[in-house]
Amino acid sequence: MSGESRRVSLVIGAGSVKCAAALGLWRALIRHGIELDMVVGCSGGSLYAATMALGYDVDTCERLTRELWTKDVTMERDTRGILAAIFPKLLGFDGKFGMVHDRAMGKALAGPFGGRTFEEAKIPLHVVTTDLETGAKVVLSSGSIFDAVRASIAIPYVWRPWQVGGRWLLDGCMSDPLPVDVAIREGGHVILAMGFESPFPRRVKSATRYAFQVNSIYTNNLLRANYAFHNLAHHAEIIPILPAFDRPIGLFSTEQIPYVIAQGEKATEEQIPYLERLFAGAAT
Amino acid sequence: MNVVVEQRPTAAVVRITGSVDGLTADALQAAFREQVDGGATRVVADMAGVEYTSSAGLRALLATLKLTRQHGGDFRLAGVQPNVLKVLELSGFTSILKLYDDVDGAVGSFGA
Repeated sequence: MSGESRRVSLVIGAGSVKCAAALGLWRALIRHGIELDMVVGCSGGSLYAATMALGYDVDTCERLTRELWTKDVTMERDTRGILAAIFPKLLGFDGKFGMVHDRAMGKALAGPFGGRTFEEAKIPLHVVTTDLETGAKVVLSSGSIFDAVRASIAIPYVWRPWQVGGRWLLDGCMSDPLPVDVAIREGGHVILAMGFESPFPRRVKSATRYAFQVNSIYTNNLLRANYAFHNLAHHAEIIPILPAFDRPIGLFSTEQIPYVIAQGEKATEEQIPYLERLFAGAAT
Repeated sequence: MNVVVEQRPTAAVVRITGSVDGLTADALQAAFREQVDGGATRVVADMAGVEYTSSAGLRALLATLKLTRQHGGDFRLAGVQPNVLKVLELSGFTSILKLYDDVDGAVGSFGA
């Protein structure tokens, strides 16, 4: 290890409400005086990466989480979009689809991210999205943070993709659920990788749940394949932070947020002794 | 990390205790290489005492796997603990490495 700083790069992968575990991670790092030199976020992880990078404190982030991840953001159906998907010729299906209207989510995101840009970030920030047309991973590192986060959390079938710079962008988990490679490319050395596998529906009793099931299969396999490659490709350390949950955490299990944060903190504390040894090794 | 080697008739058993990480991976890889260089191409890593592995540790395991197979042998893991198993699964290692519940099972898998 080179350098004497106690700094690490943080990658927060896709995981909806589970991504709140990043707040527990952050608390643990602060407690031990470990700073971040870069944050990379994907999907739900982009929310936390962005709030950390903008300099919000942990308690504010927790409050914002409670305000953002409420059932309200999923209450309003995108009726026209659904009907257009069922009757494409009649209503003119435009190639973009989401069952849930994004009005409430847009309002929630506007609070912490409205008008904010990557250039204002106190820590370099990168947000991963997916190009709807080509399937390519698109890393956003400049411009509007609101747009980047909105695009990164455009969960397929749930929310419509979001247009940024002329491209329609979808959830980053469709191309890189735990984008450790972005941190590697940007010069990360010791990389903390907080990732989550997508949950499967308890019962597949509708076409929607079937779609989620298939989605989870795709993204979990993609997560493993990418992570395997990143582990072998990196010259230094990738330290996985994998919080364990003893109960199901659904897409909008917001009541579980305190528990999720606590589990993130616990999983991070387990890695602190090794991080301390790494830092000590770098200083000698 | 501590490494103890036991030679059995069909395989060398490398018992590891501690963390397999960026600070210990080189030493571990050297210990494995020493076995292969000495002619023991069938190697079992007893992981029952390993509580943690990072990317550097995974690279050491993969290098050993390739080395043993290049020499006509194999590298197998025994007694992998849940925390380490989670990382092995996430990084795809469980699809290319053979894992056994205990050392006897892993050694026995090589046959006579």
